Amino acid sequence: MDGIVEFFRTAPIPPEVFAPSLGLIILLPLLGAFVCGVFGKWLGRANVHLVACSAIAGAFVLSLMAFWATSDAAGGRVVSMPNAFGLERDVVRYAISYDYGTWFAAGDFRVNFGLLVDHLSGILLLVITGIGFLIHLYSTSYMEHDDGYWRFFAYLNLFVAAMLTLVMADNLVLLFVGWEGVGMASYLLIGFWYTDSAKAWAGRKAFVTNRIGDFAFLIATFLLILTVNAFSQQADPRDYNSAGSSRARYTQGLLEKGPVTFKGLEKMALALPEGTGGAVSLATPIEAGPLAGYTFGGVMTATMLLFLLGAAGKSAQLPLYVWLPDAMAGPTPVSALIHAATMVTAGVYLFCRMSSLLVLSPTAMATIAVVGALTSLLAALIAFAQDDIKKVLAYSTVSQLGIMFMGVGMGVFWAAALHLLTHACFKACLFLGAGSVMHGNGDETDIKKLGGLYKEMKWTHATFLVSTLAITGIIPLSGFFSKDAIFHGVHHNHLHDLHWVSGFVYAMGLLITACTAFYMSRVYLLTFTGKRSPEAKVAHAHESSWFMTLPLVVLAFLSVVTLVYALPLMPRSGGGMQPVFENFLSPVLRPAEAVARAAQTVALDHSTPAFVDYLIAWLVALSGGATAAFLYLKFFPAQVGKPVPAFARAVRRTAHNKFYVDELYEFILIRPVKFVAFILFRVVDALVIDTVLVRGTAYVTEKVGLGLRRLQTGDAQAYAAIMALAILGGAVYALLQVLS
Amino acid sequence: MSFFDTHLLNVVIYLPLVFAALVLMLPSTEHGQVRAITFVGMLLDLAFGVWAYFRFEPSGAEFQMEYRVPWFQQFGMSYHLGLDGLAASLLLLTVFLGPLVVLASTTYISHRIKEFHLALLVLQTTMLGALASMDVLLFYIFFEAMLIPMYLLVGVWGAEDRRMAAVKFFLYTLVGSLLMLVAIVAVYFVSGAPGVRSFDYGTLYNNLLAANQQLAACTNGPEGACASLTGLAATLHTYGPWMFAAFALAFAIKVPMWPVHTWLPDAHVQAPVAGSMILAGVMLKMGTYGFWRFAIPLFPVAAQAARPFLAVLAVIGIVYGALMCLAQRDIKKLIAYSSVSHLGYCMLGLLAVTSEGATGSAYQMLNHGISTGALFLLFGFLYERRHTRLMSDYGGIAKVMPVFTAAFVIITFSSVAVPGTNGFIGEFLVLMGTFKSTLPLGFGAFATLGVILGAAYMLWMVQKVFFGGITHRENQHLRDMNLREMLTTAPFIVLVAVMGLMPQPFLERIAPSTERYVARASVGAPGATQAKDDQLRVEVMSLPSTAAAARPSVPAAPLAVRE
Repeated sequence: MDGIVEFFRTAPIPPEVFAPSLGLIILLPLLGAFVCGVFGKWLGRANVHLVACSAIAGAFVLSLMAFWATSDAAGGRVVSMPNAFGLERDVVRYAISYDYGTWFAAGDFRVNFGLLVDHLSGILLLVITGIGFLIHLYSTSYMEHDDGYWRFFAYLNLFVAAMLTLVMADNLVLLFVGWEGVGMASYLLIGFWYTDSAKAWAGRKAFVTNRIGDFAFLIATFLLILTVNAFSQQADPRDYNSAGSSRARYTQGLLEKGPVTFKGLEKMALALPEGTGGAVSLATPIEAGPLAGYTFGGVMTATMLLFLLGAAGKSAQLPLYVWLPDAMAGPTPVSALIHAATMVTAGVYLFCRMSSLLVLSPTAMATIAVVGALTSLLAALIAFAQDDIKKVLAYSTVSQLGIMFMGVGMGVFWAAALHLLTHACFKACLFLGAGSVMHGNGDETDIKKLGGLYKEMKWTHATFLVSTLAITGIIPLSGFFSKDAIFHGVHHNHLHDLHWVSGFVYAMGLLITACTAFYMSRVYLLTFTGKRSPEAKVAHAHESSWFMTLPLVVLAFLSVVTLVYALPLMPRSGGGMQPVFENFLSPVLRPAEAVARAAQTVALDHSTPAFVDYLIAWLVALSGGATAAFLYLKFFPAQVGKPVPAFARAVRRTAHNKFYVDELYEFILIRPVKFVAFILFRVVDALVIDTVLVRGTAYVTEKVGLGLRRLQTGDAQAYAAIMALAILGGAVYALLQVLS
Repeated sequence: MSFFDTHLLNVVIYLPLVFAALVLMLPSTEHGQVRAITFVGMLLDLAFGVWAYFRFEPSGAEFQMEYRVPWFQQFGMSYHLGLDGLAASLLLLTVFLGPLVVLASTTYISHRIKEFHLALLVLQTTMLGALASMDVLLFYIFFEAMLIPMYLLVGVWGAEDRRMAAVKFFLYTLVGSLLMLVAIVAVYFVSGAPGVRSFDYGTLYNNLLAANQQLAACTNGPEGACASLTGLAATLHTYGPWMFAAFALAFAIKVPMWPVHTWLPDAHVQAPVAGSMILAGVMLKMGTYGFWRFAIPLFPVAAQAARPFLAVLAVIGIVYGALMCLAQRDIKKLIAYSSVSHLGYCMLGLLAVTSEGATGSAYQMLNHGISTGALFLLFGFLYERRHTRLMSDYGGIAKVMPVFTAAFVIITFSSVAVPGTNGFIGEFLVLMGTFKSTLPLGFGAFATLGVILGAAYMLWMVQKVFFGGITHRENQHLRDMNLREMLTTAPFIVLVAVMGLMPQPFLERIAPSTERYVARASVGAPGATQAKDDQLRVEVMSLPSTAAAARPSVPAAPLAVRE
């Protein structure tokens, strides 16, 4: 046993040797994208497959090395990196980093190409490259009839590179490169079949909606920069002391790494709470600069709320979730990789990364939790009435992301990250399963026109069933544990002065569990069980090749085994046991807990769920599934031919039309902007400025000139007369002056 | 001490003129030779320009590669050239665009080919001259001379409505610059006693500096403190705002800022591809360059007073320009209005008066030259094939022109400032500088709206032109880019990536200029920490003695030596 532990705790490449190669993890897929994109046409299909897949496979191997290196404890010395913002002895354990130097600098601002891999980004690296590789493999078969294969693999590699940048960045601006980069790749992939206008529009909708989020993200970044400036001017030694830093080191860190480095922000977060003493606390007003007058806490709340809007764009939450269902226009592997497993979870990752700042603001946390809960419920309700298999899964993704946001908002970061991980496995499996179904059924996506596939597509069916059970939360699959860990934390954590949120969000969570079970069972039952629909496009479905089924099997397997992470197997420092994943992420989340303890903004609970909690969650899920089973296996088949009540029809129509949210946005946002643009152009630009002012000036000049021209008649008598009159007038005037 | 130590800038500036003389000697039927000679001239000029750019030492003196000889001494003029970091960067942009513009026009221009290339070469000389002028009157001469070849480019080789657009462009800009001439003369007269007056930038600035500092102290002091001012400070107190207004109007028209922008869409729409590229790439920058070099440093107090107003105009320009784009049906007009939006960022960065903002502004000037220049170039290729500018006449051409589409989409991403491309660095720094500045937070927030709108209109255009099915029969057989077109486009695409990923070499050369600009512009700001005098004063070479100047053609050693 010790031998095994020793094996896993000794990285094959020592961390300090490996660290300078971290950039390769990003460069490999980037190179793959370049080769496929530029030379793909000449390389041919097989070579493109080879290049694209091996680029990702290489990145996966490197990620594995990086991940391994972050757990390295060879010779009893845990791997650690120096913290540029802390004291000399203050090192970051279980992390490796490398700084490739300045990206750009101006004034006292600077951004470095700094990469950081700790347990949080390490596990995400594995998810991105691992699932990414499986999806690349799947795509080689899925896209076998498409002429744009080289474009597809170039975009897909580009996406992976951007996503890796996002999770490995050690500062906000570099993270933003990945953040927008994945948006760009997503734009290209959603509109991959650009000849279909609707699909290209969906890509644009996704990009522009994301841009709304990015707008907030940028402003939040600027506010953070201003806050860091104010902090470094106002903080006194006690503040720095409480954060394990000193003025000299912190200033040095700012100078070398720039103000938006996560480690630096973390130090500021550690110094801000009331209890740490010092000149700066959350209630301290900022003295100088553009933020003068606002308190640190107030600015932090505003910043975090803006980040929420940014995250809502990327992670498809209210009010910006509308792009994700439309994004299903892209090829199915894209939906699996980008719009289920990786990109859309970026918001959750962002908040985990900045957890120490987030816990400073209970208001922002409560908002995140409530937004997550509302989004999740709304999406689940919409999913009830969708007939397109990918649309159901898309809304299900929105709903699951909402659950993760609930976890993040209530401070159960580790559980949210765990749900991110398990969701990546089972949702990718579901999407790829859906893709396999489409592939075998002539691209049919309407679940009402499928049915009875369990015999014809055995592998697809089996894996789809496993992942459906996982997402509905049936014991003992991973989804059950991760979701339950979130709900347990949500229930027992308490936000300062906002105690109602726990109860509310928890109740919503149970409701969502039931809904999830309902719509997922519906999809499964309609697609795979029963008789084959008479409207099916092809009479007999065919099972897909092993390129497609192998990833399904691996992912289904993963959605079972990741449950290990949620089991309380590791010793807790204060006695008792804690879940593996909580233990695993504790080096990353420790600062957040310290901040929460000192600031008393959120009371974090570390109990493990009791048997009763599990039972309740399980029963709720079962009830949802059972209802679906009853309705779709017994009730509706019996109702065929009978008239449907008007009420039921109206409800279904509303849900089917997504509660008319898209139409609402069109009506209150898009049309007014277009209208204003049109009016401004026609009235202000063309009429007022150009016609009245500019041409008006020319017109007046011309008319004045024409008028004056009449004076120049060339008639000497007239000139003489005017001269005489003028002299006379002058004489009269002079006389009057003299006389008076 | 070689010839180039003293004359490098002269070579860069007048080389196009020399080649213009060569072209002039060719018979006008020899189209190939005319093109080839012009292209070689531009390439050679590029080589010298790049050399000058690399000779510029970021840690050295403010103005480098100076050259100064007496010229119209009676008027207080001298022929004085020199480059600072910003001018060097814009000079690089200008010589970079030169050969590409010639390549872009190879098939586009089909009549009066010799005259066209003559105009291009002369235009190049005037633009380079304006950037390198260290004498205000010399700057004015080049600044005005620029209008003539551009007027011809639009008026002779333009599209259907070219006359109207050319006249509008000419008169619009002339109104502003004539007022500026009045202000230049006025500054000349107030800045010194008879006999020591000078149009030289360094002298003018240094003469005004003390008065500006006095004025700033009293303006930001208690009420009525300015009543006791005497001498130059009193004059500046009374007339400074007017002189600033004259300068600002001239440059604002050139930028163009809202609401004096309406010449731009017409000029761009009617101009041939070369005209649009140069207009967007370089000439608009003369406006921002003028603010940076003349209007704001010479009248810091008046500029400070007008700053909120101008910043409001800049923000309006950003948002308004973007909204205009959403209302366009004409692709060239859309790109033209996007220039209004992008130049709004440049102006906002300048007016933020923070080093981040000013650096971003300078970088954004380069970016805009690259990305908008490339957009006009690419659209020019399309226009040659189809001869229509309406979006509705295209649609689905990605299918028939994949390489062209790829290039256009990459440039589009640069234009909407996706991180990793050059546009992001400029926009990010400008916005950050605005947030950091003393302007209220709302300015930054509204300006950031451009991020959303920019994506909305650019992708909308891309969608309309490239995606969907092919709706017009004429578009079915469009041929993709040929080798010449690819070679013309490639430098832009390379620069998009290089300037996005390795901006530091460019920023380093801009940095010393920004620091000085910020120091000089904050002279008028209340409570500004007084910058060191060596940041404020302009150090330039003094006029050589008359004996040496009698033989200006001989590069005698003392000419180039800084004293």
